[in-house]
Amino acid sequence: MTDVHVVGVGMTRFGKHPDSDASDLGAEALHGAVADADIDPRVIEAAYCGHVFQGMVTGQRILAQVGLAGLPLSNVENACSSGATAIREASLAIRAGEHDVVIAIGTEHLTSKFSGALTPDPSDPEAAVGATMPGVYAMRARRYMEEFGMTREQLALIPVKNKKNASQNPLAHFRKEITVEEVLASRPIADPLRLHDCSPVTDGAAAVIVMSDKAAKKYANGRGIRLAASTLRSGSVDVEPTSMTYEPLTWVTALEAYEKAGIGPEDVDFAEVHDCFSIAEVLRVEGLGLFEQGQYPWAVERGEADINGRLPINPSGGLIGKGHPLGGTGVAQVVELVRQLRGEAGSRQIEGARVGVAHCRGGKAVGIEGAACTVQILVR
Amino acid sequence: MTAPATGVSFRPGELETRPDGTGNLLGSRCRACGAHFFPIREACAGCLSDDLETVRFSTEGVLYTFSIVRQSIPAFEVPYALGYVDFPENVRIMGQISGCDFDDIKIGMAMELSLEPFGEDEDGNAMTGYRFRPVEAHND
Repeated sequence: MTDVHVVGVGMTRFGKHPDSDASDLGAEALHGAVADADIDPRVIEAAYCGHVFQGMVTGQRILAQVGLAGLPLSNVENACSSGATAIREASLAIRAGEHDVVIAIGTEHLTSKFSGALTPDPSDPEAAVGATMPGVYAMRARRYMEEFGMTREQLALIPVKNKKNASQNPLAHFRKEITVEEVLASRPIADPLRLHDCSPVTDGAAAVIVMSDKAAKKYANGRGIRLAASTLRSGSVDVEPTSMTYEPLTWVTALEAYEKAGIGPEDVDFAEVHDCFSIAEVLRVEGLGLFEQGQYPWAVERGEADINGRLPINPSGGLIGKGHPLGGTGVAQVVELVRQLRGEAGSRQIEGARVGVAHCRGGKAVGIEGAACTVQILVR
Repeated sequence: MTAPATGVSFRPGELETRPDGTGNLLGSRCRACGAHFFPIREACAGCLSDDLETVRFSTEGVLYTFSIVRQSIPAFEVPYALGYVDFPENVRIMGQISGCDFDDIKIGMAMELSLEPFGEDEDGNAMTGYRFRPVEAHND
């Protein structure tokens, strides 16, 4: 079976784009990936497009804009893992031998679809009693503080770190550093979480071109980064109440990815994880086995997760700093991994990075731990 | 105390209400392995048996965690307290918290089901929903 190589990456600036829509943004990201791969776009054989709130056939609208209509295309919805799921589908099409060059696009024009707190689908029993996503993560933060003694100030160090990283990322939604005091003084959203603990409502898109061994040999000129694993799991139904401070769904998805890549968590040099809220970064990295359970806030305090630390987390700025255009997020994480692994990350470059992990988790439904979880491992 | 809730259940499949103002949350019990689920399921996630019966859950449990929600969708007036309560049947159910000040809510508190007015249906009829309140709250 062929390996899968990420050969071209592109993304728009993340932020507010009042004069564009999801297909404009997707087309810009696609053009960026094609230019980066330095290929004739006509060699692309198939496309997958991840988005959440952009309506029917958004992917077709993107391809129509860039003259590539006619390709086999699937639109993919998996909540905040939609873009990452599109990459997984693209990689499967290559591993199956069906295609040699496939593009995965993730796009979202979120500012035109929604404002304020995201909620589960209105039909869900928890949405019916007032569940919001910030509320659910706030409850997890409260429980984590109770169990492990994490302080509110420690939690604030995560947005401080991620916005510092974002200040070095020209495509990030936020370019301004913040302080712990500013986090603690920001507007309360769902106690104990405040505005700076939350990822913003962002417009943006990203695209990656993946290739088989054969196509990479022909087109990549040695610039391909191997996608060693791309795994997906959906949350299982709890048969009894389980800990909300640990993520078995993240772990099983990661474990399968580590096994496929032939590595363990100890081999990971850096990670982009789904920090939709500050507490989420804690739960993700511990669920991925990158830090001991109950220890991450102290590791952040010691600088271990900084760009020049032992195990940098979210060098791009993460969802909190770079922004969170739902469908675009998982693809943008892989864009960051590729730029870091190629040594093209500029002032936020991690020295000597060889193995990067991207993790997404999205969606909420009653009785399940999480809806959709993806882990991608890229190896230079 | 809150006036007795007299409306129809806001979600009859999940909350049973009776004319005397009492009610229960409803779920499934697997006859094969004994696991309980909220809401009602078609098959058991533990053993995959489809031999499930609908049961009424206990009305008292323990608060696992909570938050004060200060930004929500227009259907809900903020702020409100939201929590997860663990019931003796080994199910965890989310609901709003009533009957006490926000500052008095603590993880581990004993909570009970409280049937309360919960908005209106499309025709403007009052509906009854549920919240959780500290068990001590009605002893004043």
